[in-house]
Amino acid sequence: MLAIAGLSVAISTASTAIAALFAIPGALWIVHGRSRARALLHAVFTAGLGLPPVAVGLAVAFAFWRSGPFGAVDLLYTPGAMIIAQTIVVLPLIGTLGVVTLGGGDPTLAQQLAGLGVPRRTRLTLLAREVAPGLVAAVLAGFGRGIAEVGAAQMTGGNIEGQTRVLTTATMLSVGKGDFGEAFGYVAVLLGIMIVVAGVAMTLQRRWA
Amino acid sequence: MGLIEAASVNEVAAHGLAARRGTFGLNVDRFAATPGGTAVLGPNGAGKTTLLLALQGLIASRGAIARPARCAAVFARPAVLRAGALSNVATIVRAACATTAHDAERRARRVLADVGLEAFARADARTLSTGQRQRLALARALAVEPEALFLDEPFANIDADGRPALRELVAGYVAASGCALVVATSFLADAAALCERCVVLHDGSVTVRCDVAQLAGCGDPYVGALLAEARLPA
Repeated sequence: MLAIAGLSVAISTASTAIAALFAIPGALWIVHGRSRARALLHAVFTAGLGLPPVAVGLAVAFAFWRSGPFGAVDLLYTPGAMIIAQTIVVLPLIGTLGVVTLGGGDPTLAQQLAGLGVPRRTRLTLLAREVAPGLVAAVLAGFGRGIAEVGAAQMTGGNIEGQTRVLTTATMLSVGKGDFGEAFGYVAVLLGIMIVVAGVAMTLQRRWA
Repeated sequence: MGLIEAASVNEVAAHGLAARRGTFGLNVDRFAATPGGTAVLGPNGAGKTTLLLALQGLIASRGAIARPARCAAVFARPAVLRAGALSNVATIVRAACATTAHDAERRARRVLADVGLEAFARADARTLSTGQRQRLALARALAVEPEALFLDEPFANIDADGRPALRELVAGYVAASGCALVVATSFLADAAALCERCVVLHDGSVTVRCDVAQLAGCGDPYVGALLAEARLPA
């Protein structure tokens, strides 16, 4: 149980971190950039909100299938493939919420701080502090979606005991076996993890409020 | 944008200033402001805000501009940090003046009292009313002890009986510090109380340039409307 929960947290943390690494700069670009391609990325993010994890799982599984385009990497049914799939699932959510957060503040704040003689580096720090709680919420939402999804994890990980079994795929297997006690146990751990993560996020948000 | 050779102390000056904001174009052949104060008048969309932004170097512009090293501005719609009123001012003072946290807070407390916000020191700045925000914006601008002060409709949302005290506060700071002053306003009273000189803008160009005392005879229809309004029977 501990190993399964640990793998769930590890995979979701990795995919959320990678997704945030691309989604937040992407959101920054959408809000502050000049290129017309911004609208395209925003559309991709928004459309991606509805991306079914099974569709992502299917695409990743196909890509890494032994005879598929990336079959040679031998990544299918490993945590690596699960992380790739989950990153794709989570990225649009962090990106879209990031756009809302970054675009939500007063657009003239940076200019007004400059008008008061605040140096550029401090301006950036102050602006980051303004949006930090919103970005924390966006990343938390991404983590929540990642750790809760089952379709992509099942298809790309294969639910192999001790290797790619995570809380959601383990729950499905337990229900399949009719072992509801075990299934409820997994779900309870999953909920416990989310409660802890939400607590950490709220503490961070309060510190920056 | 080029800089004119070191201007005399605390003067804002521009020559051949051209700036664009969206489709709007500003063209001001010359502009100057000293501690005597220069009021910028003109109807909505005439270019008052664009002129102030260009003079501060906050938007791209062409032409030569000279201004002191330390400037501060009050914007027509002040943006505030997600923090208490006191913290808003102290944070900015600390960043702009490279001073200690203790000194920044001391100065912040003093200016908040000056603008009548001491009771709101702990209040979240975002929850303040528009007028209170404008007071906060004036407080943080004065707190950085600027050598040039740019005010854009600084008292537009302040209650009528609160305006004279704030005008006095600004006038007092300018007199004590020798700070150059530029005031964009729709109130003749602001111009009369704070400025010796004034310019009137129409469609991005200066159409009138005179002493505030001579405004009545300038013949500009917009100024005429301002004067007529000021003379309305009680």
